[in-house]
Amino acid sequence: MINTEILVIGGGPAGLCAAAEAAGHGARVLLLDDKGILGGQLIKQTHMFFGSHLQYAGTRGIDIATILIDNAKNAGVQLMPAATVTGIYEDGVVTAYTDDKFIKIKPEKIIVATGAYENMLAFPNSDLPGVYGAGAVQTLMNVSGVAPGNRVLMVGAGNIGLIVAYQLLQAGIEVAAVVEATDKIGGYYVHANKIRRMGVPILTRHTVKQAWGKSGVEGATVVQLDEQFRHITGTERNFAVDTICLAVGLTPLTELLWNAGCDMRYIPALGGHVAWHDENFRASLENIYVAGDADGIEEASSAMIEGKIAGLNAAKNLARKTNLTQKLYDERIKDYHGQLNQLRRGPFGEKVRMGSGMLTGLPPAVDAPIESLPTDYRAFPAGARVVIECEQNIPCNPCETICPHSAIKVGKDIVNYPTLDPEKCTACAICLTRCPGLSLFVINKEFSETETEVSIPYEFTPLPKKGDVVDALDRQGNFVCKGKITRALASKKFDRTSIVSIAVEHKYADTVRHFRADGAPKPEPRVNPPADIPGDMDAIICVCEDITRRKIEEAIDRDGAQSVDEIKRLLRCGMGPCQGKTCQRLIMQILAKKLGRNIAQFMPQTYRGPMKPVPLGVLAKANDEEKN
Amino acid sequence: MRRITEHPILTFKQGKQVKFTFDGKSMEGREGDTIAAALEAAGIRVFRESINLLRPRGFFCAIGRCANCSMVVDGVPNTKVCVALLREGMNVETQHGRGKIAIPRGGQTPRRSEATEGG
Repeated sequence: MINTEILVIGGGPAGLCAAAEAAGHGARVLLLDDKGILGGQLIKQTHMFFGSHLQYAGTRGIDIATILIDNAKNAGVQLMPAATVTGIYEDGVVTAYTDDKFIKIKPEKIIVATGAYENMLAFPNSDLPGVYGAGAVQTLMNVSGVAPGNRVLMVGAGNIGLIVAYQLLQAGIEVAAVVEATDKIGGYYVHANKIRRMGVPILTRHTVKQAWGKSGVEGATVVQLDEQFRHITGTERNFAVDTICLAVGLTPLTELLWNAGCDMRYIPALGGHVAWHDENFRASLENIYVAGDADGIEEASSAMIEGKIAGLNAAKNLARKTNLTQKLYDERIKDYHGQLNQLRRGPFGEKVRMGSGMLTGLPPAVDAPIESLPTDYRAFPAGARVVIECEQNIPCNPCETICPHSAIKVGKDIVNYPTLDPEKCTACAICLTRCPGLSLFVINKEFSETETEVSIPYEFTPLPKKGDVVDALDRQGNFVCKGKITRALASKKFDRTSIVSIAVEHKYADTVRHFRADGAPKPEPRVNPPADIPGDMDAIICVCEDITRRKIEEAIDRDGAQSVDEIKRLLRCGMGPCQGKTCQRLIMQILAKKLGRNIAQFMPQTYRGPMKPVPLGVLAKANDEEKN
Repeated sequence: MRRITEHPILTFKQGKQVKFTFDGKSMEGREGDTIAAALEAAGIRVFRESINLLRPRGFFCAIGRCANCSMVVDGVPNTKVCVALLREGMNVETQHGRGKIAIPRGGQTPRRSEATEGG
C-alpha cells in the first residue's frame, strides 16, 4: 500500500497544475497518468494558446506541456506515468495497474483530473479502418510523426475539428472538406479562417451519410441536413478520401467518480454527466476534488486554473498543517477565481457559465457587458498598419503583450476586442507572429505607386523566396490575382511563425489574405460509391461486440428495453474490452429518440472496477505478494 | 501511410530502425514508435477481424481506450497496439475474434485455491 497525502489522477493541464499547486504548499503529492508521456492533450497541440500570459497564452501547446511538467517536478510532485487507475473504492483505496504490477494507494485527498473522451458518430461503415477520432489523428501525426492518410474528410467544426484540419494541412495532408451538422461553426472563427483561406470548404448543416471501402476507407458520401437533422435526399456529394476524422465533441471521463460514489448530474452544457462540486471543486465526497474536462468540457487554459483551485483546497484541508497560510490561501483563491471568471467571459463562455450554474445550483455568473466589440479594420485610408480580424470576442491578449510600441490595447478585460492606435503602430509585424488565431495582418498601402504590400503570418514549409510569383488568395481561398513575394521572414524570435509579404495591386489590399505557391489546386476527384452497398446499410454501434443500430432498435421495440443496462443485458453492448466508452452515448441517443424522451433521463451503465481490462495474472500476483 | 519528414512546427526524432514481423512478413519501424504507428507508417491499416461480423478493424482512439486496435503480440492477444511500444524482434499478428490465450506446454495453471481464498 502506497501512502500519500494527495493523489492526482491525470497528468494533463488540470492534473499537472493541481499537483504543482498542492506540492508547492508542502503537501506530499503523487500523480498518476495512464500514458507514458505526461501533458495530456497538450503534447499534440502545435498552435499557440489563447487566454492571458497567466495561462501561457501565445505559447504553443507542446511547449506548455514541458513547462507544466517542469513546474510539477520542481514543486516536488512524484510523477508516475504509464500507471492506469482502475478504481476508487469505498474505503478510500485507489487501485492502479502499472508495468505488469497491480498497486494500491491510500491517499488523504484525491483530485480526479481524468479529462474527456471523444464522442463517436455512427454511419454505415463507420467502423472501417481509416475512420479515426481527432485525438488519434493528432497522436499519429504530431507525436508519432506518421501521416494518418493522404486526403481527409473532417467531421465537426468545433475548435477541435478546425484545429486538427489546420494541423493536417501543416503536415502536408489534404483536407477535402469540413462538415458540421449544426447551422454554424462552433469553434473560433479565427481557427475556421486559417483553413478557409487555404481553400478548405466548411459545409454547415451537413453530415456523413456513409463511408465505403474494402479493407479501409476509400470514400465518403456527405449529405445536407434539414432543421430536424434529417438527411435531404438528392443533396448527396461524394468525396474521394482515405481518412475520415471525427471531431464531434467530448464527454467528461467520469467512471472513477461514479465508482467512488460521487453525486453525478447530467449537464448538457458541460458535455454529459459530471460530478457535483462546490465552488472550490470539491465533489460530494469530502476527500474527492475534480478539475479540468472531467468536470465539464472547456479549454485547457481554464483546466489549468481549475487544477490550481482544486490543488490549493486539497492542500488546505489536509489533516497535517502544511506551509499554506490563511493569508496566502485567501490571496490565491481570489486570484484564481478572478482568472477563471475572466476566461469564461464573452460569447464562448456562455455555455460553461450556464452549465456551472446548473451544476452548483448557484445563479449563473452574470456577464458584464463587453466594452470593446469587433470593429472592421478592413478599410483604412493610407500608410502601413496592422489590421485586426479576430471577428469575435475571444478571451485572449498576446497581441497587446507582445507589441513593443503599445499600439494594441485589449485592456484588463481580455475578452475585449483589440483596438489599434494607428499613431503608435509602426507596422513592425511582431504581433503577427504571436496571435494564436493568426488573424493579424500588416497592410502597407504605400508600398509603391501601383502596389500594396500584404504581410501574412505563415506556418507552412517551404517558405517562399523573395521575388517568387504566387497565387494571391482571398479569405475563402479563392484566386484573386498574381502577387510577388517581397519578404519572407523567419526568426527564432517569431517562434516558428514566419511573416510572408506579397505585393498586389492596390485594389486587392483588403481582399488578399493568403497565397498559394504551388499553382492551381487539383480539381476534386470524381468518385462514386460502389454499386454493391445496400441502400439501407446498417451502422455498427457497439464495435467490440459487433452490434448494429437495428439490433438495438429491435431490443427497444420488440423486447421492451428501456435503459442502457437492459440493452447491455440483452445484447452485450458495452461488455467488450472498451467497457462501453465508444457506444454508450450512442445507445442513450437511440433510446431517447425511440422512446421520445430527453437524453438526460437515461443513466449510463453501472460502472464497476476495474475500469480498464487488467490481466488476471497481474491481479493474482498482487494477491500473492500481499500475503507474503 | 508515410512518415512526415518536413513540418513547420515540429521536429521528429528519427529513431533507430527496429525490425519486427507482421503476420510473418518482416517489417521495419523506428525506435519510439508505438506498434500502431509503425504499421500505419508501412501502410497497414487492418489490425484485427471483428468477433461476429468478421469486419476489418484498425486504429481508432490512440489512447488505449476503444480496444479497436487489439492484436496478437508475441502470442499475447488483446494487446492494444496504439499504446504498446515497438521492440526489436516483435512478432505482431492480426487478431481474429477474441483471440486465444497460449498456455505453454507443461506450464502451470494458476493456483486456484489461493486465488479464490477469502473471495
